[in-house]
Amino acid sequence: MPVVFLASATFWWDQFINGLTTGSIYALIALGYTMVYGVLQMINFAHGEVFMLGSFAGFGVMSVMGGDDLSGAMIAVAIFAALIGAMAASMATSLALERFAYRPLRNAPRLAPLISAIGASIFLQYLVLEQTEARAKFYPGVFPTGSIGIGDFDIRYIQLFLIGASLTMMALLFAVVQRTRTGRAIRAVAENPGNAALMGINVNRTIVIVFLLGAAMAGVAGVLYGLFFQAIRGSMGFLPGIKAFTAAVLGGIGSIPGAVAGGYTLGLAETLGREMLNELPGVDLGNEWRDVIAFSLLVLILLFRPTGIFGEKVSHRA
Amino acid sequence: MPSLRLPRRNARSAPRGRLSWAPWPTALLLAAAIAVPSFANTAWMGMLFFVALYVGLGLGLNVVVGFAGLLDLGYVAFFATGAYSVALLTSPASPLDMQLHFWAAAPIGLLLALVVGVLLGLPVLPLRGDYLAIVTLGFGEIIRLFLVNQRDITNGSSGVSAIGDPSFFGWVVSSNTDWYYVAFSVAVIVAVLTARLRDSRVGRAWEAIREDEDVAGAMGINTTKYKLMAFAIGALIGGLGGVLYAAFIGFVSPAAFSLQVSIDVLSIVVIGGMGSTWGVIVGSFVIIGIPRILLFSETADFLARFEWLRNGINNILGGLDAIVPAAIGELPPAEDWGAELGDDTRFVIFGALLVAIMVLRPSGIIPSRRRQLEFEHPPEAELSPVEGVA
Repeated sequence: MPVVFLASATFWWDQFINGLTTGSIYALIALGYTMVYGVLQMINFAHGEVFMLGSFAGFGVMSVMGGDDLSGAMIAVAIFAALIGAMAASMATSLALERFAYRPLRNAPRLAPLISAIGASIFLQYLVLEQTEARAKFYPGVFPTGSIGIGDFDIRYIQLFLIGASLTMMALLFAVVQRTRTGRAIRAVAENPGNAALMGINVNRTIVIVFLLGAAMAGVAGVLYGLFFQAIRGSMGFLPGIKAFTAAVLGGIGSIPGAVAGGYTLGLAETLGREMLNELPGVDLGNEWRDVIAFSLLVLILLFRPTGIFGEKVSHRA
Repeated sequence: MPSLRLPRRNARSAPRGRLSWAPWPTALLLAAAIAVPSFANTAWMGMLFFVALYVGLGLGLNVVVGFAGLLDLGYVAFFATGAYSVALLTSPASPLDMQLHFWAAAPIGLLLALVVGVLLGLPVLPLRGDYLAIVTLGFGEIIRLFLVNQRDITNGSSGVSAIGDPSFFGWVVSSNTDWYYVAFSVAVIVAVLTARLRDSRVGRAWEAIREDEDVAGAMGINTTKYKLMAFAIGALIGGLGGVLYAAFIGFVSPAAFSLQVSIDVLSIVVIGGMGSTWGVIVGSFVIIGIPRILLFSETADFLARFEWLRNGINNILGGLDAIVPAAIGELPPAEDWGAELGDDTRFVIFGALLVAIMVLRPSGIIPSRRRQLEFEHPPEAELSPVEGVA
């Protein structure tokens, strides 16, 4: 059936770039979910909060370095420092979560760590809400505005930076997991923790490293989110967290390329999908329907391809 | 397939000679629950209504999570279906403007909740656990978004008001005490029914599925059918809770049906001890009762007696301030401690409490006896006669 799109080509191009932007953030967060799930078969429900705290740490660093007064090369330095600070804060949070909320429950009934994770998530979220008096904080709007591209097919600098930085982080993560000794240990533990231990791998240490790697990605996502959307608040971790988990399931949970593919698929489906439905006669969906599209997509994928785009493992995992 | 005859002791859920419920604590609790309205004020009865309502909801989710081992993070969907059914069908303020009688609307609400449960369960239940968790979570959100966005049906975020009080053979249920008795009766009925289900053939099938789905399937249990049954029963009870809630409050709006409800009910089940009726009762007091009790004036009066503690702590804080010149400030007056805890602070404490309870007692405050046996005794221990009720 031929579909005639009423909107212009540049409109769709902009939506495509917007999809890639949100998709990058989903993908970065989804990596943390999928890696933890890969080694522990556990949904790290507090991962959205790790992202949120990273965002706040990045905000703190940028404010200390001058906030709205930043200019010139100092902007680049401040953003770099914010990324480092956010990664550090997210990693520290994740470390504490693993040590105090998850590790004691490693051999507990299956739902216990999940409830503990929900508890930790509520704790962190409301701690920040309380400290900020539930008000939003705003990242300094110092990122150069303007765009680059051919004619009307352009891309804003901030979006280019966001997508580029995300892809760089993902490439780094792949390199670590595929090329280093630590990465091999991670893959071994994900395959079979018992056998990995027999091979002389320190399983506890490897699990901690998995949490740290995932947290670093979430911290970067937090800063990028702040730079792009500017407003951050204590409750910001919930929806991206859930969406990122959806992305991880879409891609096939446990699979690292799957998380990336799932993140971008979800980002694009949300933005392009709503606009495409709006092209249908008599349909006018507001922005809030993006979430409905995301979750409906999840249900459909589960129906027709329950292992996700890349997943092979899940089918025989309880 | 030829039926395998197991020794009778192993085939029963409760070992022979033991009741599957504790008679004395049950009698005490029932007596206390019936007598409590004679010496509690209206505010306390409102709190107890919610505790009883959530005992019912908790028992419903317990069937899904505790008995069948299915993680449902979107229980609010069924609660909302029941509540909105009553609101939309009976209220004169409803956009549907049907103004049905409560007793006509309530069964429709239950039926709708059941249908929603089956429709949601059918595609997802053949898959494994974590998918169910995320799909139910997403579905809970979709229901809320639907309620907010479909203004022509649901009035959107302004909600539906003026839901009348139902009458019961001429007795109009209106005061907090009336509603408390209704919710309490419902909770008792649900408790008896779910306990009977647990000890039935269906309950044993759930247990088998929970422990190992593959083995259960190999033993000839139609796992999807039994999982769907658990899910549907849970949905029905969730819908019942919603019907009660809407009729009690008299007003529904999407804000009341957030993820928080699902998390509260799940926390009740897990904190109390999965699969355990007593656990659900304790859990409901911890999760629903305590936050409300903290706001009562009686609590403030009680806390006022701890002025000495406040003074002591303030002295220590003052000493600390002298050493470390950071603004620690001083504690508010003791009688304000309950109310001083703003919503955010209470959630901070609640979150920390959830983690602490899980870490210290991963199988809940009052674990179900079967699970406790699994944890504390090796399987052989069950073969020797054990006296006394755990």
